[in-house]
Amino acid sequence: MKIGVVNGSPRKRGSASENIIGALRERLGKAPEYALCSAMSQSGREIVSALLGCDALIFVFPLYVDGVPSHLLRFLEESQGQISGAVPAAVVYAVVNNGFYEPAQNILAVNTLKSFCVKSGLKWGQGVCAGGGGMIGARRIGRSPLKNLGMALDALAENVLQLKTAEDRLVKPDISRFFYLCAASVSMMFHMVKNRL
Amino acid sequence: MGKKLILHDLPAKDAEKLFSANGGEYTIFSARPPVQTCVGCLHCWFKTPGKCAIDDRGKEFSPLIHVHEELIVISRLVFGGLSPDAKAVLERSIGHISPFFRVVEGEMHHRKRYKNAFRLRYIFYGPDMTESGKENARALTRANALNLGAQGYVCDFYSSLDAVEAAL
Repeated sequence: MKIGVVNGSPRKRGSASENIIGALRERLGKAPEYALCSAMSQSGREIVSALLGCDALIFVFPLYVDGVPSHLLRFLEESQGQISGAVPAAVVYAVVNNGFYEPAQNILAVNTLKSFCVKSGLKWGQGVCAGGGGMIGARRIGRSPLKNLGMALDALAENVLQLKTAEDRLVKPDISRFFYLCAASVSMMFHMVKNRL
Repeated sequence: MGKKLILHDLPAKDAEKLFSANGGEYTIFSARPPVQTCVGCLHCWFKTPGKCAIDDRGKEFSPLIHVHEELIVISRLVFGGLSPDAKAVLERSIGHISPFFRVVEGEMHHRKRYKNAFRLRYIFYGPDMTESGKENARALTRANALNLGAQGYVCDFYSSLDAVEAAL
């Protein structure tokens, strides 16, 4: 089995998407062959060529202005005509994180991926929408406050390995919105003070 | 304060035709050729508040938003949302909002940086628009209006540029 993972974060290191990909690979195990791609640093042609023959594609990215980041969106639009030739039987999955609390704010981005699947003739698998993205980059997924995300990735990994289609999942951080808001505000304040603003 | 700010992704020829017919009463920003992609550095929040740190013409858009009464975005409908070119400009404009948060309509969103409240109008164009694509675009307009701190929003769809011209 070959699994293609496309990182849609524009950040080179330390992004929530990178952490999610690491956690997902732990759950998928060593057996599959991986094609790890970056929509930011690779051209569309390079990505399509790396994904050649994949059974599953997983797009992992942050929510940017309520949607798919523009560089990943450009890849999706430019590759829609060729990708089904490279990965004709691939099932597509997505993990989207946002810096707010509510995972439902990611649904529009998941819908973009579903529309891409319809237009390119690929099969949709499942979307995982995660809120609390501000905490995901720096913490171990599977432990509090990211237990819920860990469980969602457990289920996603099973679905990917069996190439199954499943309901999209909305994953809140396992703390209340009040505490998340407080923590996010303190973090923003810390950055302001650090930069003498 | 200017009245209307237009962000569009039209080819130069079409833009010239569309806006010359409308008498130059708008501030116009073309999303083509594409601006550089946002790199998520957050300098526009924590180093140079309100201004994008990437040095190309994309940094000029954000400061225009709060000095206009209406922001009109004219974009191809791509997968039920904005085109990559138009979206890249908006992603470079998050300095327009504050990094701090507020709760609106039961959802967490960013606070406004500036007091003035502009109206947001999305005009999507293109052939073969599907109902599900339009539905997603309407929801996107609402979400962007909430996050950009707009006081009202409208979302329209047109199958041709002639129809867009008539609507402006």
